Amino acid sequence: MIFLTVGTQYPFERLVRAVDEAVASGVIEEEIFGQIGPCPYKPQNFDFTHSLDSVRFDNYLAQSQAVVGHAGVGTITMALNNNKNLLVMPRLAEHGEHVNDHQLGLARKFEQAGHILVAYECSQLPEKLALLHSFEPTPRQSNPHDVAARVGSFLSQLQAKNL
Amino acid sequence: MTMKSKRKELRICLAASAGGHLTQLLKLNDSWQDYETIYVTSSKIVAAKLQKGGRVYTVADCNRKRPLKVIKAFMKCFKVAYSERPDVVISTGAAPGLLMCFFGKLFGAKVIWLDSITNTERLSLSGRMVRPLADLLLTQWPELAEKYSKAEYAGQVV
Repeated sequence: MIFLTVGTQYPFERLVRAVDEAVASGVIEEEIFGQIGPCPYKPQNFDFTHSLDSVRFDNYLAQSQAVVGHAGVGTITMALNNNKNLLVMPRLAEHGEHVNDHQLGLARKFEQAGHILVAYECSQLPEKLALLHSFEPTPRQSNPHDVAARVGSFLSQLQAKNL
Repeated sequence: MTMKSKRKELRICLAASAGGHLTQLLKLNDSWQDYETIYVTSSKIVAAKLQKGGRVYTVADCNRKRPLKVIKAFMKCFKVAYSERPDVVISTGAAPGLLMCFFGKLFGAKVIWLDSITNTERLSLSGRMVRPLADLLLTQWPELAEKYSKAEYAGQVV
């Protein structure tokens, strides 16, 4: 099963339609479940819901073989932390899909590092979908403790000065 | 109000809009375990969850497109900075976090800014505005630490 997730803030009809067409044309043969957000367009070729509570979301994620989504930082880190192959399409401000193009920058960085696949526009989706299962991502690890250590050393120097 | 000179431990103001900004800020929590913390955030629901960590203030979220909301947030942040006199303000943004940095500094605080991981090509607008007064400015992309001489890269929190 491929899990499609686009977040809940703004509509992302462009990706939802493109996935629907990919199923209709046989590019995707397996089952898809979609969390499609606030989306006036209703997919014809896969089961969907607009939003999921965290328990159901985690279940779909766990059951999936791969994830297709928007390039939100939450989606990207969630898929990578759960070792799911991820294909994203960045939301673009010019289509009203988000307030700015930060998803584009994020997608490029993570793609450059080999962690995810990216379809920048709908025409690229079929070729990237074909690669999704065989893709071998470069593993990625965040390091919050290193950043906390940097902040911690600043604070302990300051505390020492104040005493 | 505890006068700064009478405090044994640093009073740290943690300021971030609810959502991704706050999520990233809270990843740093190892760093403030030895100190007193107060919180400024933008959602009452989130504020309730933070209460076990210290006093929590709510400031309505605001952005450059809603100037009247910004003025309201201005006044609230000024009040918090004036009455709490934090020794340090740590923020990831957005606008309410930036305002706490400004007013904190006005009353003598050190300022630590962690720019959100979503800013990949350049520092956020808030980050660029806080840059002149930040005492520690962190970006989560090494390329941006090269681009801005004051910015440091220590890693990614998410």
